[in-house]
Amino acid sequence: MLKLFIANLKMTTRNRQALFWSFMFPLMFTFIFGMFFGKNSMVGTIGIVNNSGSEIAANYEKILKEANIFKIVEFNEIDEAKKEISKNSLSAFVYIPDSFGTMLTQADNTLVVYYDQGNAQIGSVLENFSDKFLSQSNMAISKAQEVFKLRTEKTSSKDLTYFDFVLAGILGLALMNSSIHGIAVGMSKYREDKILKRITTTPIKSWQFVGAEVLSRLVLNFLQIALILVIGVYAFDAHIYGNIAIIFAVSLVGALLFQLIGFVIASFSKTTSAAEGMATAITIPMMFLAGVFFPIDSLPSWLYSVVQYLPLAPLLRIIRGVTLEGTSPFSDLNYVLIVFAWIAASLAISIYRFRLSEE
Amino acid sequence: MQKVISVNKLVKKYGKNNAVKGVSFDVFKGEIFGLLGENGAGKTTTLEMIEGLRKPTSGTINVLECDIRHKLACVKERVGVQLQSSAYYADLTLQEILELFGSFYQKRLPVKKLLKMVDLENKSKSKIGMLSGGQKQRFSIVASLVNDPEIVFLDEPTTGLDPLARRNLWKIISDIKNQGKTIVLTTHYMEEAELLCDRVAIMEKGEILAIDETHKLIEQIDYPYTINFSVAEIKTDLFQKLMKFGEVRNTLAKKHRFELKIKDQKALNGAVKVINQMEPLTLTVGRATLEDVFIELTGKTIAE
Repeated sequence: MLKLFIANLKMTTRNRQALFWSFMFPLMFTFIFGMFFGKNSMVGTIGIVNNSGSEIAANYEKILKEANIFKIVEFNEIDEAKKEISKNSLSAFVYIPDSFGTMLTQADNTLVVYYDQGNAQIGSVLENFSDKFLSQSNMAISKAQEVFKLRTEKTSSKDLTYFDFVLAGILGLALMNSSIHGIAVGMSKYREDKILKRITTTPIKSWQFVGAEVLSRLVLNFLQIALILVIGVYAFDAHIYGNIAIIFAVSLVGALLFQLIGFVIASFSKTTSAAEGMATAITIPMMFLAGVFFPIDSLPSWLYSVVQYLPLAPLLRIIRGVTLEGTSPFSDLNYVLIVFAWIAASLAISIYRFRLSEE
Repeated sequence: MQKVISVNKLVKKYGKNNAVKGVSFDVFKGEIFGLLGENGAGKTTTLEMIEGLRKPTSGTINVLECDIRHKLACVKERVGVQLQSSAYYADLTLQEILELFGSFYQKRLPVKKLLKMVDLENKSKSKIGMLSGGQKQRFSIVASLVNDPEIVFLDEPTTGLDPLARRNLWKIISDIKNQGKTIVLTTHYMEEAELLCDRVAIMEKGEILAIDETHKLIEQIDYPYTINFSVAEIKTDLFQKLMKFGEVRNTLAKKHRFELKIKDQKALNGAVKVINQMEPLTLTVGRATLEDVFIELTGKTIAE
């Protein structure tokens, strides 16, 4: 069995397609989301046309740059900046007229925010930022007392970003894709090539064969988890608050669940391409509905009431509980129960249906 | 002679379809035993039931004195199986595959020796996809020898190979026999069965029509001799004379070539005399073949 385990590892490292789906695919997501939402990621690129030499204009520009919300490009003319917007290389820009802040009676003290309707979000962030700056400046000049105040508080005391949320999702996604596809397609291919039949002519027991397959894939999953976490944390400053060992343990339980689903598919599909189709039909909807990229609570309630029971959904909640909050995987037993119910069901079907031999 | 396989009243039903209808036969130690028949005659089903890959509907199978219903695991240690068109792991080298399969058995032969046996030593680091059809087939045979088995099962070992590769494989199979192993093979090639097998069972529609030593089957048929001849001109009176010795038939698609089936030595001598009077352009006298036996038993030829 050890020899088969080692042979399986060798085969996986030699199979480029398997490697792509196991490593490149999730890493692609990590990089894409990391670049948008990870460390130093900025909302977008804006321009500034500062024609004023006043102190308040200089102050505004300084604060805008220090806020580190946008990548800022400087322009001399409005038309230049407008041209960049039309080329889509700029989302918005702010125009500061030359008399702005000069305290002359006929001075134009209006900041103008130009924005691309296609990127209204960035325009509104810039608008809010500028509005706040101007009200504070107005109050300072009129020496008014601030009566009403606003305070915002995070519900979690921890420093968390959207990228942290997505990283846990990508972890689940990677385990799901590589395990379901790997087992379903791998086993169907073995059956089609009569390798399973050939195996049954030897004294090796079915459980030994399946065991070696499952264990070698868990090793692959272990590397997957490590790689995603390392890149997420070191390249994009993801925050992980839970115990690393628990994160690995929970993830591997998830991988096992998805492998079992792979065996269920392999026991029903007659050909490799059928297995591929079935695996895709299961993983793609789950990728979007089980909360990989956004919290499923924001789905319509009728849809939520269904998708919360998909295998990936409770698993992601447990993983996020551990990675983002550092809570115990058992803190909500409902999730644990759903995961184990899926494990029990797919294990039962696999034992009942999956055979190495054709009879 | 020591029986190594004993099959008794073996039946396999798939729904209403009877794939194998109560066959019984024995295989003796050290022989090459052939199951001969058309595609769909039940050869592979029978073989796979003996190998333990399919469950018989009824009947018993004893291999190496073990009832395979109860002691299949023990039998698997001592037999080698080559499957029809089986593939091996595409991402492992030949050496790695043989080492892997060897690890499944308690007893195993060195990989180098195995590869040498089928002339593939220089391919030990190659993957299966890089081999030619003949090399693949040689490899699949040697992969069935990793545990130095007492019985080797070969399912259609030469199907789809070119004539040279087939001859090469026949040599390998007879070498395996010379090592003292028993071989059970299925084939639909008559000349292959005739050349390789010590005994054959001819199967048709799930039944065994005849079973015996190959040469005895041929000798027992109604017309054990065949004369082939060609003439420049057909002389009707001499042809009528010739027909008294046996059935004269025009050879397929050839106008002046004829084939004559003869019952015994005396008729053979008489017929040759008459043909000589026709001043034949060619004349050959031959023994009947297994194909003739098959045609006589089934009333048809084997379609490849």
